[in-house]
This record gives sequence, structure tokens and C-alpha cells, in this order.
Amino acid sequence: MEASRPLFIPVILGTARMGRMSLHAARLVTGELGKCAGVETDLIDIAKLPLPTNDAGEAIKHADFSAKMSKADALVVVSPEYNHGYSGLLKHVLDSCLKEYIHKAVGIVGVSAGPFGGARVIENLLPVMRELGLVTIFWDVNFSSVQKVFAEDGRLLDDSYIRRTDKFLRELIWMAKALRQGREQISLD
Amino acid sequence: MAKIAVKMICPSCGVEMNHHCDKLVYTTDTKNAGPTDPSLGGFIEEFHSCPKCGGGASRHA
Repeated sequence: MEASRPLFIPVILGTARMGRMSLHAARLVTGELGKCAGVETDLIDIAKLPLPTNDAGEAIKHADFSAKMSKADALVVVSPEYNHGYSGLLKHVLDSCLKEYIHKAVGIVGVSAGPFGGARVIENLLPVMRELGLVTIFWDVNFSSVQKVFAEDGRLLDDSYIRRTDKFLRELIWMAKALRQGREQISLD
Repeated sequence: MAKIAVKMICPSCGVEMNHHCDKLVYTTDTKNAGPTDPSLGGFIEEFHSCPKCGGGASRHA
């Protein structure tokens, strides 16, 4: 294994709604990831992916998104909770790839205006992640009452989220390293 | 487990790739489907990764 090759862990912002508070959470996580030694990251905004809606799956694969998923060692999915679920557009985007995800780590960040911090959307995403071949970690970040966590301009108002994000990222990076070793060195045969 | 297959070669590095995963695929797309395994009800897609560059590739089993 090329030990010097940095891990690539992009952050997927899973909503295209106007006024989305999840943008602030995604920027926070991307910023914290960027401080981690040996890690490269990128914020992928699904609102900027021009996917058609008259087909689905690998038929509508977006070249740049596919390339980033191929390069990735792990993913962070930042998802708001809409009526207990994830956005249809997030599912549409995730379904456009498959082989790019196999045996890679994923961590999920839930965002909600209420007290549960996206706990229900995270539970709903877990079986989707599994079927895509991603390996979920058992740390999440839950942004509860997100309107109180960030100011309108995106400033973080609650520093406890730095520590929570740090614990989440440490687990994700460990899993990303372990799975890279597995993908590249441990044979199924 | 006992099957010996030709190793995939990384198109970027030219080194042997590591076969790390099989996935059972069900599809109605007969054009792009591999040979169906009647005991599984679908076809097997193999996934391989390059130990040098990390690139991935897949093929029908």
C-alpha cells in the first residue's frame, strides 16, 4: 500500500432547499476534516449536480461525481430530516453510482430544527448505505435545533459541536484506513 | 473460494488488482447483465482495487 497517499473524504450536502441550514453543518465538517493530517476533502453540493430526472441509477451517472466517489476512501453524508426522511434528490444522486462505493466508510451527519438531531433520517439512511456497499461507522453527529447552533451567517454558536465532530471524524478516518487496507490487500479469493 | 481467475490489471499502474468483493446483482437489463447464476437468481459482479493507486474496477464473474 502507498502509505503516503492521502485519504480523500468528501462531504456530500444532501439537500437543495433554499435556506438550508445543513449547509452550515456541511461547511463545519468539511473545515474540520481539512485540519486532519493526511486527509483531503471537498464539499459536494447536490444542488449543483445537474442530474436528469427522467431516468435513474447508473444511467444518469455524473462524470465528476463518479470520479470523486471513485477517488474517495470514505464519505460524510450531511442530511437534514424532512418528515422523518432524507431528500429525494439525495437518494437520486447516491443511486447514480455503485462500484465507486464498495467497501468504503461512511459517516452520517443529521440535521433538524427539532430536538432529535436527524436521528430518524440517519436510521433511514443506514440500510441504503449498506445496499450501496458502504460501511457505516457507529458515531454520528446530530445537529439538534440547528437554528440555535449556527447564526444566520453560518457562525458556530455552540462549540461543543467541535468535539462531537472530532470524535466522529476520528472514527471515520480509522475506518477509512482499515477499509483501504482491506480493499487493496485482502483478497476474497 | 477455490476458483482461480485471471487477475485484473490496473489500467493506470499496470499492477495486479486485489479482488475484494462480490455483489449479487438483480436486473431487468438483459443487455448489460452477466450470466445469471440460477442458484442465486442474479449475476455476480466482482470488485477489484489497485494496491498502488487505489483505483477500482469491476467485471462480471
